[in-house]
Amino acid sequence: MNTLLSADGIVKSFGPTRVLSGVTLSVAPGEPVGLFGPNGSGKTTLVNILSGLLRPDAGTVRFDGEEITRLPLDARYRLGIARTFQIPHPYPSLSVREAVRVALAVDAGKRKEEGGTREGEEGPAEDLIARTGLFNQRFVSCAQLSQGCLRRLEFARGLACRPKLLILDEIFSALSAADEGDLTALLRAANRDEGTAFLLVSHNPPLLKSLCRRILVLEEGRIVRERIV
Amino acid sequence: MRNAAPFRAPKVSLRGGTPPARSTWRGGWLAAGIGLLLFFPLSSPDAFFLDVFTTGFLLAAFAASWDVVGGVSGQTTLGHALPFGTAAYACALLTSFAGWPLPLAVGAAVLLAAAVGAGIGTLSAPLAGPFVALLTLALGEIAHEVAVGHTFFSGPGGYAWGGEGGIPVALPWRDASPFSSYYAALGFLCLASFGMLRFLRSEAGLILRAVAGSPITAQASGVPIARFKRLAFAVGSAFAGAAGAGFALHVGRATATDLSLELSFQAATFAAVGGRGTIVGPVVAALVLHLLFQGLSLPPSVRVLLYALTLLLVLRFFPGGVVGTARDLASRLGGKEGGRSRRIRGRYRNGEGAP
Repeated sequence: MNTLLSADGIVKSFGPTRVLSGVTLSVAPGEPVGLFGPNGSGKTTLVNILSGLLRPDAGTVRFDGEEITRLPLDARYRLGIARTFQIPHPYPSLSVREAVRVALAVDAGKRKEEGGTREGEEGPAEDLIARTGLFNQRFVSCAQLSQGCLRRLEFARGLACRPKLLILDEIFSALSAADEGDLTALLRAANRDEGTAFLLVSHNPPLLKSLCRRILVLEEGRIVRERIV
Repeated sequence: MRNAAPFRAPKVSLRGGTPPARSTWRGGWLAAGIGLLLFFPLSSPDAFFLDVFTTGFLLAAFAASWDVVGGVSGQTTLGHALPFGTAAYACALLTSFAGWPLPLAVGAAVLLAAAVGAGIGTLSAPLAGPFVALLTLALGEIAHEVAVGHTFFSGPGGYAWGGEGGIPVALPWRDASPFSSYYAALGFLCLASFGMLRFLRSEAGLILRAVAGSPITAQASGVPIARFKRLAFAVGSAFAGAAGAGFALHVGRATATDLSLELSFQAATFAAVGGRGTIVGPVVAALVLHLLFQGLSLPPSVRVLLYALTLLLVLRFFPGGVVGTARDLASRLGGKEGGRSRRIRGRYRNGEGAP
């Protein structure tokens, strides 16, 4: 099988507490993968290591055939690994459109090479904002957004770099039914239309089953089961 | 994977659907202020007042340059006098000691200040919050102590240079008229403020505001934080260096005071009083406070006390500074007039076009 992301023997401890004990997993291009596990099983730590926010004590992470274990968060985003946060950290002094423009600025060079416009990047920004259902809030300060809108904004930020892999940390938790419906539709569309692979962390088995082709179960810092849906 | 559900169009509401209103009154006040300052020398003021204004213009540009680093980019620096003094000393040494022509020396001094800023930015990049303040404070104080304690004999004439007395700047003119100094400093302030505002509204400025607001989200959006922190320090220091070189030309000498902690604190105070992250706020605060305290010919110890008192009062009662308080007031007044004003209030306080 062709592999987009692979993690091999990931170990991570915080002081005397071992959180991950040799996690090995892989994600194929365009593959929707779920990650399920009880609280404290190490899901967020694993996501932080895969996205570059934390470095593992042992083990390697490879992406597109390249070792990226020591690459920081921003460099991995530029490579095509985008992540969302369980608790969004919005920019207090920026509007929704400005927040999206920040994420698009990184991709602007690539778009220019492909013949797109660079100045202002209004086209892609407006398009992303409309796709994520934030068009009517585009001039509103990020600090004034509801939880649902903040998750939509996280989604827009993640999609801005046209990622090959989207890592979503509990993005559907504590959302209204309408917000959850919109975001699942968006995720399906990104997977179907753009071939974006995703690793979805969730506590919700029915949601994982409806969205993912493969579900990994993490318990006490190890992948204990793998289920093909 | 199951079949994809159809994507639903977002619900339409009026909230936030219109771009933020650009206030025209701001431009009017600005034009009126510049007009008043342009015509002030025609009222035949005392040379002392012209000198106070000239120094005030240079200090205002310096305060705005602090705001680029400390306000817009959120890197609270307490050593901003370092690039200011570095440029002043570079100007003095390059003209008096190396015999460089003045324009070349000024250009080199500004570049050196930017390089010093980039160096500080590199050192402080892994740090956050109070640690940035402590590092910059320490670096500024080291430079100040070196300037105070280091004296040497000049080549021509064998005079003792350095120390408290400083180093003279070799100027190609003798006794510049107070009028020309006044207008040159005013022109510099306008140009520097315009440049800083343009930077604030550029893509780099937007990214710096993002870094200041939430570094982790900015990094997760692909922003190389360390590079942008270095950029903020380099740009802010270049403008501080330009103000420092201007100050050295105005007083004809670079002294250890140009590197003092008091000067760094003064810039931070002006920015806090005027409104951090606004550029215009620190300029107005620096002009008003400097003209008020210096114009009244108060002794330095009283001035320091008044600056500290002003800072305490502003931080306690008006944490957003003059500009922030004015915006809040405008939004409160606007809120009584109807729905549209209330809609603008939310955006205007924190959203686009805020600076």
